[in-house]
Amino acid sequence: MKWIREIWQSIVRRDPLSTDKGKSELVFLNVWLHIHPAKVKKENLRFKYSFYLGFITFFLFLILLTTGIALMCYYRPYPPAAYQDMKDLQFAVFMGSFLRNMHRWAAHAMVVCVFLHMCRVFYTGSYKKPRQFNWVVGVMLLLLTLGLSFTGYLLPWDQLAYWAITVGTNIGSYAPLVGGQLRELLLGGHAVGEAALLRFYVLHVAVLPSLVILLTIVHFWRVRKDGGLSRPIWKLKPQKTEALVTIGAPAAVAPLQVTAASKDKTYGLMEVVTGKPIFETVTPEEEKDTVFSYPYAFVREAVALMATVTSIMAISLFFNAPLEEMANPAVTPNPAKAPWYFLGLQELVSHSALLGGVVVPALMVVALILIPYIDRNPSRRPRERKWAIWLFTFFVVANIILIIVGTFFRGPGWAWVPPWVHVVARPE
Amino acid sequence: MAALCSAVGVSLGAVVRFLVPSVFYGPPQSFKIGNPGDFPYGPPTFLADEKIFVFRDRERGFAVASAVCTHLGCTVAYFQNDRDFHCPCHGSVFSPTGAVLHGPAPRPLNWFEITLTRDGQLRVDKDKTVPPTYRLMV
Repeated sequence: MKWIREIWQSIVRRDPLSTDKGKSELVFLNVWLHIHPAKVKKENLRFKYSFYLGFITFFLFLILLTTGIALMCYYRPYPPAAYQDMKDLQFAVFMGSFLRNMHRWAAHAMVVCVFLHMCRVFYTGSYKKPRQFNWVVGVMLLLLTLGLSFTGYLLPWDQLAYWAITVGTNIGSYAPLVGGQLRELLLGGHAVGEAALLRFYVLHVAVLPSLVILLTIVHFWRVRKDGGLSRPIWKLKPQKTEALVTIGAPAAVAPLQVTAASKDKTYGLMEVVTGKPIFETVTPEEEKDTVFSYPYAFVREAVALMATVTSIMAISLFFNAPLEEMANPAVTPNPAKAPWYFLGLQELVSHSALLGGVVVPALMVVALILIPYIDRNPSRRPRERKWAIWLFTFFVVANIILIIVGTFFRGPGWAWVPPWVHVVARPE
Repeated sequence: MAALCSAVGVSLGAVVRFLVPSVFYGPPQSFKIGNPGDFPYGPPTFLADEKIFVFRDRERGFAVASAVCTHLGCTVAYFQNDRDFHCPCHGSVFSPTGAVLHGPAPRPLNWFEITLTRDGQLRVDKDKTVPPTYRLMV
Protein backbone atom coordinates (compact mmCIF):
# COMPACT_ATOMS: atom_id res chain seq x y z
CA MET A 1 0.00 0.00 0.00
CA LYS A 2 2.95 2.26 0.53
CA TRP A 3 3.59 2.60 -3.18
CA ILE A 4 -0.04 3.58 -3.80
CA ARG A 5 0.35 6.25 -1.14
CA GLU A 6 3.52 7.43 -2.84
CA ILE A 7 1.81 7.67 -6.21
CA TRP A 8 -1.09 9.56 -4.62
CA GLN A 9 1.35 11.88 -2.87
CA SER A 10 3.20 12.55 -6.16
CA ILE A 11 -0.12 13.72 -7.62
CA VAL A 12 -1.57 15.76 -4.77
CA ARG A 13 1.72 16.90 -3.16
CA ARG A 14 0.09 18.21 -0.02
CA ASP A 15 -0.68 17.47 3.59
CA PRO A 16 -4.11 16.09 4.51
CA LEU A 17 -6.98 18.52 3.97
CA SER A 18 -7.89 18.31 7.65
CA THR A 19 -4.98 20.62 8.37
CA ASP A 20 -4.71 24.31 7.49
CA LYS A 21 -1.37 23.59 5.86
CA GLY A 22 -3.00 20.99 3.62
CA LYS A 23 -5.79 23.43 2.67
CA SER A 24 -3.20 26.05 1.75
CA GLU A 25 -1.07 23.60 -0.19
CA LEU A 26 -4.07 22.35 -2.18
CA VAL A 27 -4.10 25.75 -3.81
CA PHE A 28 -0.54 26.87 -3.39
CA LEU A 29 1.15 23.79 -4.84
CA ASN A 30 -1.40 23.35 -7.55
CA VAL A 31 -2.69 24.78 -10.81
CA TRP A 32 -5.49 26.35 -8.74
CA LEU A 33 -3.02 29.04 -7.72
CA HIS A 34 -3.58 30.57 -11.14
CA ILE A 35 -7.22 31.11 -10.25
CA HIS A 36 -7.29 31.47 -6.47
CA PRO A 37 -4.96 32.53 -3.71
CA ALA A 38 -4.78 30.12 -0.76
CA LYS A 39 -7.10 32.41 1.19
CA VAL A 40 -9.81 34.71 -0.09
CA LYS A 41 -11.76 37.57 1.42
CA LYS A 42 -15.04 36.48 2.95
CA GLU A 43 -17.14 39.26 1.50
CA ASN A 44 -15.89 38.53 -2.02
CA LEU A 45 -17.53 35.12 -1.76
CA ARG A 46 -20.93 36.63 -1.17
CA PHE A 47 -23.36 35.82 -3.95
CA LYS A 48 -24.86 39.30 -3.97
CA TYR A 49 -21.49 40.88 -4.80
CA SER A 50 -20.47 39.11 -8.01
CA PHE A 51 -23.45 36.79 -8.60
CA TYR A 52 -20.67 34.42 -9.74
CA LEU A 53 -21.37 35.68 -13.25
CA GLY A 54 -17.77 35.27 -14.42
CA PHE A 55 -17.67 31.67 -13.25
CA ILE A 56 -21.16 30.95 -14.62
CA THR A 57 -20.08 32.32 -18.01
CA PHE A 58 -17.01 30.09 -17.89
CA PHE A 59 -19.11 27.06 -16.93
CA LEU A 60 -21.46 27.78 -19.82
CA PHE A 61 -18.43 27.84 -22.10
CA LEU A 62 -17.42 24.42 -20.73
CA ILE A 63 -20.93 23.11 -21.47
CA LEU A 64 -20.64 24.52 -24.99
CA LEU A 65 -17.24 22.89 -25.50
CA THR A 66 -18.38 19.46 -24.39
CA THR A 67 -21.76 19.45 -26.14
CA GLY A 68 -20.14 21.03 -29.21
CA ILE A 69 -17.54 18.26 -29.48
CA ALA A 70 -20.33 15.69 -29.14
CA LEU A 71 -22.39 17.36 -31.88
CA MET A 72 -19.36 17.46 -34.19
CA CYS A 73 -19.48 13.65 -34.33
CA TYR A 74 -22.75 13.87 -36.27
CA TYR A 75 -22.36 17.07 -38.25
CA ARG A 76 -21.17 17.51 -41.84
CA PRO A 77 -20.57 21.16 -42.71
CA TYR A 78 -21.98 21.29 -46.24
CA PRO A 79 -25.50 21.65 -47.58
CA PRO A 80 -27.84 19.83 -47.65
CA ALA A 81 -26.08 17.29 -45.37
CA ALA A 82 -25.85 19.89 -42.60
CA TYR A 83 -29.62 20.18 -42.41
CA GLN A 84 -30.13 16.42 -42.69
CA ASP A 85 -27.75 15.97 -39.77
CA MET A 86 -29.86 18.38 -37.73
CA LYS A 87 -32.89 16.20 -38.45
CA ASP A 88 -30.85 13.12 -37.52
CA LEU A 89 -29.82 14.74 -34.25
CA GLN A 90 -33.42 15.64 -33.58
CA PHE A 91 -35.02 12.28 -34.35
CA ALA A 92 -32.45 9.49 -34.82
CA VAL A 93 -29.42 10.08 -32.59
CA PHE A 94 -29.70 8.97 -28.98
CA MET A 95 -29.86 12.17 -26.86
CA GLY A 96 -29.04 14.16 -30.02
CA SER A 97 -31.91 16.57 -29.58
CA PHE A 98 -31.12 17.03 -25.89
CA LEU A 99 -27.44 17.79 -26.58
CA ARG A 100 -28.33 20.21 -29.35
CA ASN A 101 -30.83 21.92 -27.06
CA MET A 102 -28.15 22.21 -24.37
CA HIS A 103 -25.72 23.69 -26.88
CA ARG A 104 -28.23 26.22 -28.16
CA TRP A 105 -29.57 27.35 -24.77
CA ALA A 106 -26.10 27.49 -23.21
CA ALA A 107 -24.99 29.72 -26.12
CA HIS A 108 -27.87 32.12 -25.51
CA ALA A 109 -27.23 32.03 -21.76
CA MET A 110 -23.54 32.76 -22.31
CA VAL A 111 -24.37 35.90 -24.30
CA VAL A 112 -26.67 37.03 -21.47
CA CYS A 113 -24.21 36.16 -18.68
CA VAL A 114 -21.19 37.75 -20.31
CA PHE A 115 -23.25 40.94 -20.73
CA LEU A 116 -24.48 40.84 -17.12
CA HIS A 117 -20.92 40.14 -15.95
CA MET A 118 -19.79 43.26 -17.80
CA CYS A 119 -22.58 45.26 -16.12
CA ARG A 120 -21.58 43.97 -12.69
CA VAL A 121 -17.94 44.90 -13.28
CA PHE A 122 -18.97 48.35 -14.45
CA TYR A 123 -21.38 49.14 -11.63
CA THR A 124 -18.89 48.05 -8.98
CA GLY A 125 -16.19 50.16 -10.66
CA SER A 126 -13.97 47.09 -10.92
CA TYR A 127 -12.47 48.19 -14.24
CA LYS A 128 -10.48 50.94 -12.55
CA LYS A 129 -6.76 50.92 -11.94
CA PRO A 130 -5.08 48.40 -11.91
CA ARG A 131 -7.76 46.40 -13.73
CA GLN A 132 -8.09 48.52 -16.89
CA PHE A 133 -6.50 46.03 -19.25
CA ASN A 134 -8.55 43.13 -17.90
CA TRP A 135 -11.69 45.11 -18.77
CA VAL A 136 -10.37 45.34 -22.36
CA VAL A 137 -9.75 41.57 -22.39
CA GLY A 138 -13.31 41.15 -21.10
CA VAL A 139 -14.74 43.27 -23.94
CA MET A 140 -12.75 41.13 -26.41
CA LEU A 141 -14.29 38.02 -24.83
CA LEU A 142 -17.77 39.58 -25.18
CA LEU A 143 -17.12 40.18 -28.89
CA LEU A 144 -15.77 36.66 -29.34
CA THR A 145 -18.87 35.27 -27.59
CA LEU A 146 -21.08 37.16 -30.04
CA GLY A 147 -18.88 35.91 -32.90
CA LEU A 148 -19.20 32.32 -31.71
CA SER A 149 -22.93 32.62 -31.38
CA PHE A 150 -23.27 34.27 -34.78
CA THR A 151 -21.13 31.69 -36.61
CA GLY A 152 -22.99 28.87 -34.87
CA TYR A 153 -26.30 30.32 -36.00
CA LEU A 154 -25.67 29.34 -39.65
CA LEU A 155 -24.70 25.73 -39.00
CA PRO A 156 -28.23 24.16 -38.86
CA TRP A 157 -28.70 25.41 -42.44
CA ASP A 158 -32.41 26.09 -41.98
CA GLN A 159 -34.38 29.14 -43.08
CA LEU A 160 -33.79 30.89 -39.75
CA ALA A 161 -30.04 30.36 -40.10
CA TYR A 162 -29.76 31.27 -43.75
CA TRP A 163 -31.64 34.55 -43.57
CA ALA A 164 -30.26 35.65 -40.21
CA ILE A 165 -26.75 35.31 -41.63
CA THR A 166 -27.72 36.89 -44.95
CA VAL A 167 -29.08 39.92 -43.12
CA GLY A 168 -26.21 39.93 -40.58
CA THR A 169 -23.40 39.79 -43.14
CA ASN A 170 -25.11 42.35 -45.37
CA ILE A 171 -25.21 44.72 -42.40
CA GLY A 172 -21.40 44.42 -42.22
CA SER A 173 -21.03 45.14 -45.93
CA TYR A 174 -22.10 48.74 -45.28
CA ALA A 175 -18.72 49.41 -43.68
CA PRO A 176 -16.97 52.00 -45.84
CA LEU A 177 -14.24 50.90 -48.28
CA VAL A 178 -13.68 47.36 -47.04
CA GLY A 179 -17.21 46.24 -46.08
CA GLY A 180 -17.92 44.39 -49.32
CA GLN A 181 -14.51 42.68 -49.40
CA LEU A 182 -14.77 41.67 -45.75
CA ARG A 183 -18.16 40.12 -46.42
CA GLU A 184 -16.76 38.14 -49.37
CA LEU A 185 -13.82 37.05 -47.25
CA LEU A 186 -16.16 35.83 -44.53
CA LEU A 187 -18.56 34.10 -46.92
CA GLY A 188 -15.95 32.81 -49.37
CA GLY A 189 -18.28 33.95 -52.15
CA HIS A 190 -20.84 36.54 -53.18
CA ALA A 191 -23.70 35.07 -51.16
CA VAL A 192 -24.34 32.68 -48.27
CA GLY A 193 -23.67 29.23 -49.69
CA GLU A 194 -21.50 26.13 -49.33
CA ALA A 195 -18.28 28.10 -48.91
CA ALA A 196 -19.86 30.31 -46.25
CA LEU A 197 -21.09 27.30 -44.28
CA LEU A 198 -17.62 25.76 -44.29
CA ARG A 199 -15.94 29.00 -43.25
CA PHE A 200 -18.44 29.62 -40.46
CA TYR A 201 -17.87 26.05 -39.28
CA VAL A 202 -14.08 26.52 -39.18
CA LEU A 203 -14.50 29.79 -37.29
CA HIS A 204 -17.04 28.23 -34.93
CA VAL A 205 -15.21 25.04 -33.98
CA ALA A 206 -11.54 26.05 -34.26
CA VAL A 207 -10.58 29.70 -34.62
CA LEU A 208 -12.95 31.44 -32.20
CA PRO A 209 -12.90 28.81 -29.41
CA SER A 210 -9.07 28.86 -29.48
CA LEU A 211 -9.09 32.64 -29.10
CA VAL A 212 -11.67 32.43 -26.30
CA ILE A 213 -9.57 29.86 -24.43
CA LEU A 214 -6.43 31.97 -24.86
CA LEU A 215 -8.10 35.16 -23.68
CA THR A 216 -9.89 33.39 -20.83
CA ILE A 217 -6.52 32.24 -19.53
CA VAL A 218 -5.23 35.81 -19.74
CA HIS A 219 -8.46 37.10 -18.12
CA PHE A 220 -8.22 34.71 -15.13
CA TRP A 221 -4.52 35.28 -14.74
CA ARG A 222 -5.02 39.05 -14.76
CA VAL A 223 -7.71 38.78 -12.08
CA ARG A 224 -5.14 37.07 -9.86
CA LYS A 225 -2.33 39.47 -10.73
CA ASP A 226 -4.58 42.48 -10.18
CA GLY A 227 -5.28 41.34 -6.64
CA GLY A 228 -8.27 39.05 -7.04
CA LEU A 229 -11.85 40.30 -7.09
CA SER A 230 -12.16 43.95 -6.22
CA ARG A 231 -13.47 44.55 -2.69
CA PRO A 232 -17.21 45.12 -2.44
CA ILE A 233 -18.10 48.80 -2.34
CA TRP A 234 -19.56 48.46 1.15
CA LYS A 235 -16.18 47.20 2.36
CA LEU A 236 -14.10 49.92 0.75
CA LYS A 237 -11.73 51.62 3.10
CA PRO A 238 -8.96 54.18 2.76
CA GLN A 239 -5.83 53.08 0.92
CA LYS A 240 -3.19 51.39 3.02
CA THR A 241 -0.48 53.72 4.11
CA GLU A 242 3.11 52.91 3.29
CA ALA A 243 3.78 52.21 6.96
CA LEU A 244 1.37 49.29 6.95
CA VAL A 245 2.92 47.60 3.93
CA THR A 246 5.49 45.42 5.56
CA ILE A 247 7.92 42.82 4.48
CA GLY A 248 8.37 39.32 5.77
CA ALA A 249 6.80 35.90 5.42
CA PRO A 250 4.03 35.20 7.92
CA ALA A 251 5.27 33.08 10.74
CA ALA A 252 4.26 29.44 10.64
CA VAL A 253 2.40 29.89 13.85
CA ALA A 254 -0.20 32.47 14.76
CA PRO A 255 -0.41 35.26 15.69
CA LEU A 256 0.80 37.13 12.64
CA GLN A 257 3.31 39.81 13.34
CA VAL A 258 3.57 43.10 11.56
CA THR A 259 7.21 43.53 10.71
CA ALA A 260 8.50 46.89 9.63
CA ALA A 261 9.87 47.01 6.10
CA SER A 262 13.59 47.13 6.14
CA LYS A 263 15.63 49.23 3.81
CA ASP A 264 18.46 46.75 4.22
CA LYS A 265 16.50 43.84 2.89
CA THR A 266 17.44 42.32 -0.43
CA TYR A 267 14.26 42.09 -2.47
CA GLY A 268 13.49 39.17 -4.78
CA LEU A 269 12.94 39.57 -8.52
CA MET A 270 9.16 39.15 -8.24
CA GLU A 271 9.01 41.85 -5.59
CA VAL A 272 10.89 44.23 -7.87
CA VAL A 273 8.67 43.37 -10.83
CA THR A 274 5.40 43.79 -8.97
CA GLY A 275 6.68 46.77 -7.04
CA LYS A 276 5.52 45.42 -3.72
CA PRO A 277 6.56 42.75 -1.28
CA ILE A 278 5.39 39.23 -2.03
CA PHE A 279 4.68 38.49 1.57
CA GLU A 280 2.65 41.49 2.47
CA THR A 281 1.72 40.92 6.05
CA VAL A 282 -1.82 41.59 7.08
CA THR A 283 -3.27 42.93 10.24
CA PRO A 284 -5.15 40.51 12.53
CA GLU A 285 -8.43 42.28 11.55
CA GLU A 286 -7.74 41.64 7.88
CA GLU A 287 -6.79 38.07 8.67
CA LYS A 288 -10.20 37.57 10.28
CA ASP A 289 -11.81 38.72 7.03
CA THR A 290 -10.28 35.87 5.03
CA VAL A 291 -11.08 32.18 4.72
CA PHE A 292 -9.32 29.29 3.02
CA SER A 293 -10.17 28.96 -0.69
CA TYR A 294 -10.64 25.29 0.05
CA PRO A 295 -13.38 24.55 0.92
CA TYR A 296 -15.17 27.92 1.04
CA ALA A 297 -14.57 29.23 -2.50
CA PHE A 298 -14.31 25.79 -4.10
CA VAL A 299 -17.63 24.59 -2.72
CA ARG A 300 -19.43 27.76 -3.78
CA GLU A 301 -17.99 27.47 -7.28
CA ALA A 302 -18.96 23.80 -7.45
CA VAL A 303 -22.51 24.81 -6.47
CA ALA A 304 -22.49 27.47 -9.21
CA LEU A 305 -21.28 24.83 -11.69
CA MET A 306 -23.99 22.38 -10.70
CA ALA A 307 -26.68 25.08 -10.75
CA THR A 308 -25.56 26.18 -14.23
CA VAL A 309 -25.48 22.66 -15.67
CA THR A 310 -28.78 21.71 -14.01
CA SER A 311 -30.54 24.85 -15.25
CA ILE A 312 -29.37 24.31 -18.83
CA MET A 313 -30.36 20.64 -18.66
CA ALA A 314 -33.79 21.51 -17.28
CA ILE A 315 -34.42 24.12 -19.99
CA SER A 316 -33.20 21.64 -22.63
CA LEU A 317 -35.66 19.01 -21.40
CA PHE A 318 -38.65 21.28 -21.87
CA PHE A 319 -37.73 23.59 -24.75
CA ASN A 320 -36.45 22.46 -28.12
CA ALA A 321 -33.94 24.50 -30.09
CA PRO A 322 -35.69 25.93 -33.14
CA LEU A 323 -35.29 24.21 -36.49
CA GLU A 324 -37.24 25.48 -39.46
CA GLU A 325 -37.43 24.07 -42.98
CA MET A 326 -34.23 23.74 -45.00
CA ALA A 327 -32.54 26.94 -46.17
CA ASN A 328 -34.16 28.26 -49.33
CA PRO A 329 -32.33 31.21 -50.91
CA ALA A 330 -35.37 32.00 -53.05
CA VAL A 331 -37.87 32.52 -50.24
CA THR A 332 -37.27 35.06 -47.52
CA PRO A 333 -39.35 34.43 -44.40
CA ASN A 334 -41.44 37.42 -43.46
CA PRO A 335 -40.12 38.92 -41.27
CA ALA A 336 -36.50 37.71 -41.53
CA LYS A 337 -34.80 38.38 -38.23
CA ALA A 338 -31.17 38.27 -37.14
CA PRO A 339 -30.23 36.43 -33.90
CA TRP A 340 -31.98 38.13 -30.95
CA TYR A 341 -28.83 39.81 -29.60
CA PHE A 342 -28.42 41.57 -32.97
CA LEU A 343 -32.09 42.60 -33.20
CA GLY A 344 -31.30 45.94 -31.58
CA LEU A 345 -28.90 46.60 -34.42
CA GLN A 346 -31.41 45.30 -36.96
CA GLU A 347 -33.98 47.74 -35.55
CA LEU A 348 -31.49 50.58 -36.12
CA VAL A 349 -30.62 49.15 -39.54
CA SER A 350 -34.31 49.32 -40.50
CA HIS A 351 -33.94 53.10 -40.23
CA SER A 352 -30.42 53.47 -41.61
CA ALA A 353 -28.11 50.65 -42.60
CA LEU A 354 -24.97 52.75 -42.25
CA LEU A 355 -25.98 54.08 -38.84
CA GLY A 356 -27.20 50.78 -37.41
CA GLY A 357 -24.79 48.50 -39.20
CA VAL A 358 -21.55 50.41 -38.93
CA VAL A 359 -21.53 53.69 -37.02
CA VAL A 360 -23.40 52.69 -33.83
CA PRO A 361 -21.78 49.24 -33.33
CA ALA A 362 -18.29 50.63 -34.07
CA LEU A 363 -18.81 53.48 -31.61
CA MET A 364 -20.20 51.10 -28.98
CA VAL A 365 -17.20 48.77 -29.22
CA VAL A 366 -14.65 51.60 -29.15
CA ALA A 367 -16.44 53.29 -26.23
CA LEU A 368 -16.62 50.02 -24.26
CA ILE A 369 -12.91 49.34 -24.76
CA LEU A 370 -11.93 52.88 -23.79
CA ILE A 371 -14.14 53.12 -20.67
CA PRO A 372 -11.30 52.53 -18.15
CA TYR A 373 -9.08 55.03 -19.91
CA ILE A 374 -11.73 57.74 -20.35
CA ASP A 375 -13.11 57.41 -16.82
CA ARG A 376 -10.17 58.75 -14.79
CA ASN A 377 -12.21 59.16 -11.60
CA PRO A 378 -10.49 56.84 -9.10
CA SER A 379 -13.55 56.48 -6.87
CA ARG A 380 -15.57 53.28 -7.02
CA ARG A 381 -18.43 54.60 -4.92
CA PRO A 382 -21.64 55.03 -7.00
CA ARG A 383 -22.34 58.34 -5.26
CA GLU A 384 -19.11 59.76 -6.63
CA ARG A 385 -19.48 58.53 -10.22
CA LYS A 386 -23.03 59.46 -11.13
CA TRP A 387 -22.25 60.52 -14.71
CA ALA A 388 -20.50 57.27 -15.58
CA ILE A 389 -23.35 55.25 -14.12
CA TRP A 390 -26.02 57.29 -15.92
CA LEU A 391 -24.25 56.96 -19.26
CA PHE A 392 -23.67 53.23 -18.93
CA THR A 393 -27.25 52.67 -17.74
CA PHE A 394 -28.50 54.57 -20.79
CA PHE A 395 -26.38 52.29 -23.01
CA VAL A 396 -27.74 49.15 -21.31
CA VAL A 397 -31.40 50.26 -21.28
CA ALA A 398 -31.27 51.49 -24.91
CA ASN A 399 -29.85 48.14 -26.00
CA ILE A 400 -32.48 46.18 -24.09
CA ILE A 401 -35.36 48.32 -25.42
CA LEU A 402 -34.14 48.00 -29.02
CA ILE A 403 -33.80 44.20 -28.65
CA ILE A 404 -37.31 43.95 -27.15
CA VAL A 405 -38.75 46.08 -29.96
CA GLY A 406 -36.95 44.03 -32.63
CA THR A 407 -37.96 40.72 -31.04
CA PHE A 408 -41.58 41.27 -30.05
CA PHE A 409 -42.89 44.35 -31.82
CA ARG A 410 -41.81 43.81 -35.42
CA GLY A 411 -43.93 41.76 -37.78
CA PRO A 412 -44.12 41.14 -41.53
CA GLY A 413 -42.33 43.79 -43.55
CA TRP A 414 -40.78 44.98 -40.26
CA ALA A 415 -44.04 46.78 -39.55
CA TRP A 416 -44.91 47.70 -35.95
CA VAL A 417 -46.94 44.71 -34.76
CA PRO A 418 -47.46 44.23 -31.01
CA PRO A 419 -47.14 40.58 -29.93
CA TRP A 420 -50.85 40.34 -29.05
CA VAL A 421 -51.92 41.23 -32.63
CA HIS A 422 -52.26 38.39 -35.11
CA VAL A 423 -51.25 39.24 -38.66
CA VAL A 424 -52.63 37.45 -41.70
CA ALA A 425 -50.22 37.31 -44.65
CA ARG A 426 -51.19 39.43 -47.62
CA PRO A 427 -51.62 37.50 -50.90
CA GLU A 428 -48.99 38.24 -53.53
CA MET B 1 12.93 44.11 -35.71
CA ALA B 2 12.22 45.46 -39.19
CA ALA B 3 12.89 42.04 -40.66
CA LEU B 4 10.52 40.42 -38.17
CA CYS B 5 7.79 42.98 -38.89
CA SER B 6 8.22 42.47 -42.64
CA ALA B 7 8.06 38.70 -42.25
CA VAL B 8 4.89 38.94 -40.14
CA GLY B 9 3.37 41.45 -42.58
CA VAL B 10 4.11 39.30 -45.62
CA SER B 11 2.78 36.20 -43.85
CA LEU B 12 -0.43 37.97 -42.85
CA GLY B 13 -0.83 39.23 -46.40
CA ALA B 14 -0.38 35.71 -47.72
CA VAL B 15 -2.98 34.38 -45.24
CA VAL B 16 -5.53 37.02 -46.28
CA ARG B 17 -4.84 36.34 -49.98
CA PHE B 18 -5.21 32.60 -49.31
CA LEU B 19 -8.66 33.25 -47.83
CA VAL B 20 -9.83 35.23 -50.88
CA PRO B 21 -11.22 32.61 -53.27
CA SER B 22 -9.60 32.66 -56.71
CA VAL B 23 -12.62 30.88 -58.17
CA PHE B 24 -16.22 31.46 -57.12
CA TYR B 25 -18.29 28.34 -57.52
CA GLY B 26 -21.58 30.21 -57.33
CA PRO B 27 -24.21 30.13 -60.07
CA PRO B 28 -23.14 31.87 -63.34
CA GLN B 29 -24.08 35.51 -63.69
CA SER B 30 -25.08 35.08 -67.34
CA PHE B 31 -27.60 32.33 -68.13
CA LYS B 32 -30.41 31.28 -70.45
CA ILE B 33 -33.93 31.34 -69.02
CA GLY B 34 -35.88 29.67 -71.83
CA ASN B 35 -37.88 30.54 -74.93
CA PRO B 36 -39.92 33.75 -75.16
CA GLY B 37 -43.08 31.69 -75.43
CA ASP B 38 -42.46 30.25 -71.96
CA PHE B 39 -43.32 33.57 -70.35
CA PRO B 40 -46.93 34.75 -70.12
CA TYR B 41 -48.13 38.32 -70.51
CA GLY B 42 -49.27 40.09 -67.41
CA PRO B 43 -47.81 39.52 -63.95
CA PRO B 44 -44.06 38.91 -63.91
CA THR B 45 -42.63 35.41 -63.71
CA PHE B 46 -40.45 34.86 -60.64
CA LEU B 47 -37.40 32.63 -61.20
CA ALA B 48 -36.47 31.52 -57.69
CA ASP B 49 -33.01 30.11 -58.36
CA GLU B 50 -31.88 33.17 -60.29
CA LYS B 51 -33.75 35.62 -58.02
CA ILE B 52 -35.20 37.63 -60.92
CA PHE B 53 -38.60 38.78 -62.13
CA VAL B 54 -39.22 38.45 -65.89
CA PHE B 55 -41.75 40.96 -67.18
CA ARG B 56 -43.45 40.49 -70.53
CA ASP B 57 -45.60 43.22 -72.00
CA ARG B 58 -47.48 43.06 -75.31
CA GLU B 59 -46.44 46.51 -76.43
CA ARG B 60 -43.10 46.92 -74.75
CA GLY B 61 -41.48 43.48 -74.71
CA PHE B 62 -39.26 41.79 -72.08
CA ALA B 63 -37.56 43.25 -69.03
CA VAL B 64 -35.80 41.62 -66.08
CA ALA B 65 -35.76 43.03 -62.53
CA SER B 66 -33.65 41.79 -59.66
CA ALA B 67 -35.54 40.26 -56.75
CA VAL B 68 -32.74 41.11 -54.32
CA CYS B 69 -33.50 44.03 -52.01
CA THR B 70 -30.76 46.66 -52.18
CA HIS B 71 -30.92 47.12 -48.41
CA LEU B 72 -29.77 43.81 -46.93
CA GLY B 73 -30.16 41.24 -49.68
CA CYS B 74 -33.55 39.73 -48.81
CA THR B 75 -35.76 38.49 -51.63
CA VAL B 76 -38.58 40.91 -52.44
CA ALA B 77 -42.11 39.82 -53.32
CA TYR B 78 -44.25 41.30 -56.10
CA PHE B 79 -47.80 42.34 -55.28
CA GLN B 80 -50.02 42.30 -58.33
CA ASN B 81 -52.78 44.52 -56.89
CA ASP B 82 -50.53 47.47 -56.12
CA ARG B 83 -47.95 46.49 -58.75
CA ASP B 84 -45.10 47.07 -56.37
CA PHE B 85 -42.31 45.10 -54.69
CA HIS B 86 -42.19 44.55 -50.92
CA CYS B 87 -39.16 43.47 -48.93
CA PRO B 88 -40.07 41.20 -45.99
CA CYS B 89 -37.01 42.09 -43.92
CA HIS B 90 -37.33 45.80 -43.25
CA GLY B 91 -40.40 46.84 -45.17
CA SER B 92 -38.81 48.58 -48.15
CA VAL B 93 -41.34 49.12 -50.96
CA PHE B 94 -40.32 49.55 -54.59
CA SER B 95 -42.45 50.96 -57.42
CA PRO B 96 -43.11 49.01 -60.66
CA THR B 97 -39.98 50.67 -62.08
CA GLY B 98 -37.97 49.56 -59.02
CA ALA B 99 -37.73 53.04 -57.45
CA VAL B 100 -37.74 53.19 -53.65
CA LEU B 101 -41.17 54.28 -52.42
CA HIS B 102 -40.72 53.57 -48.76
CA GLY B 103 -38.30 52.05 -46.25
CA PRO B 104 -34.56 51.92 -45.69
CA ALA B 105 -33.43 50.60 -49.12
CA PRO B 106 -30.66 52.95 -50.28
CA ARG B 107 -31.18 52.58 -54.06
CA PRO B 108 -33.68 51.21 -56.63
CA LEU B 109 -33.91 47.58 -57.61
CA ASN B 110 -31.48 46.54 -60.34
CA TRP B 111 -32.66 45.79 -63.86
CA PHE B 112 -30.59 43.36 -65.91
CA GLU B 113 -29.82 43.12 -69.61
CA ILE B 114 -31.89 40.54 -71.46
CA THR B 115 -30.98 39.44 -74.98
CA LEU B 116 -32.04 36.85 -77.53
CA THR B 117 -29.48 34.17 -78.37
CA ARG B 118 -28.99 32.61 -81.81
CA ASP B 119 -30.92 29.52 -80.79
CA GLY B 120 -33.92 31.70 -79.97
CA GLN B 121 -33.61 31.60 -76.20
CA LEU B 122 -33.61 34.48 -73.76
CA ARG B 123 -30.33 35.21 -71.97
CA VAL B 124 -30.00 37.33 -68.81
CA ASP B 125 -26.70 38.88 -67.77
CA LYS B 126 -26.68 39.92 -64.11
CA ASP B 127 -23.32 41.60 -64.55
CA LYS B 128 -24.91 44.17 -66.89
CA THR B 129 -27.42 46.51 -65.29
CA VAL B 130 -29.67 48.58 -67.50
CA PRO B 131 -32.17 51.42 -66.91
CA PRO B 132 -35.75 50.38 -66.02
CA THR B 133 -36.89 51.61 -69.42
CA TYR B 134 -34.76 48.97 -71.20
CA ARG B 135 -36.91 46.49 -73.13
CA LEU B 136 -36.22 43.56 -75.46
CA MET B 137 -38.70 43.34 -78.30
CA VAL B 138 -39.10 39.85 -79.67
